Amino acid sequence: MEIELVLSALKVIGYGLGTLGPGLGIGLACYGCCVGSARQPEVQGRLFTNFIIGAALAEALALIGFVTCFIV
Amino acid sequence: MDALEQLSHHAAELKDSFDPTIVFGGGGVGMTQYMFWMVICWILTAVVVLTVARKLTLIPTNKFVNTVEYGYQFVSNDMGEGIIGHGYKKHVPFLATLFFFILISNFVGLIPGCMTPTGTISVTWALSTISFIYFNWQGIKAHGGLGYIKAIAPSGLPAPMVPIIWFFEFISLVLRWLTLAVRLYGNMFAGHMVLGIFALATSIFITTSIPAAMPMAATSIAWFALLLVMYALECLVAFIQAYVFTVLSAVYIQGAVSSH
Repeated sequence: MEIELVLSALKVIGYGLGTLGPGLGIGLACYGCCVGSARQPEVQGRLFTNFIIGAALAEALALIGFVTCFIV
Repeated sequence: MDALEQLSHHAAELKDSFDPTIVFGGGGVGMTQYMFWMVICWILTAVVVLTVARKLTLIPTNKFVNTVEYGYQFVSNDMGEGIIGHGYKKHVPFLATLFFFILISNFVGLIPGCMTPTGTISVTWALSTISFIYFNWQGIKAHGGLGYIKAIAPSGLPAPMVPIIWFFEFISLVLRWLTLAVRLYGNMFAGHMVLGIFALATSIFITTSIPAAMPMAATSIAWFALLLVMYALECLVAFIQAYVFTVLSAVYIQGAVSSH
């Protein structure tokens, strides 16, 4: 009982740690998108698409963490 | 019982209510509530798109028709032409089908009392498998079987690096399958879980406040305000996730079809 509780708590902590990197990555990508479209509003559409793609790639790590949280 | 204790007790029940259970049929073969809503979303998508396609006019007069047509153009111009580029026209029907189905599924789930079919991993696995097979098939058609396997590694690498890069690119290719499915599922499931918990908190704090003093009712109002904010956010997420799924499918198709 005790060890199971610790294990499930560790899973949640591990997932929380796993979200840090992608969070920073998506934040950086969003920063770049905002700054870029403020400087040059005419490329906004393209920047937004690229931002979504970059955010999706960064998010993949968080999703893998989410899945391992269930599997392990 | 204390309000917080009740909340944690009901939250477990709420989580159980999200598990797929068989509602029609039995004996191992049946329809879960998610399948039921998926069929409804199919029908809804087909009805919306087909009725609009029949009423198309050169100068749009009907607002609903114009909205759906705008959605189609959004897929065609923004995702098709913007990302795939040359030869995008033959992929637009596939992308538009994905977009409209996921969008309608996500929004159906936001109606109180309805469930979203994309809130279960099985449906999103199926959707991402369709997308995965489609873009690999298009890549094989464009490059030929062996050519596509070679094209996984970008060209112009020094010869000793090719197997290593090929291996990593192959892993990222297979991970696309997983991430497409889990992204949609995770966003939808977590969003509905949060909405459910806020709604539970609203009702629990108001029911425990009736016999006791009034300050609990204020908490309940705060929870309700948070619920409204989260609901607005979920409306945005429902659209964004449909967009992301379709854009990523377009990007993968582009990566598979184009010669590096």
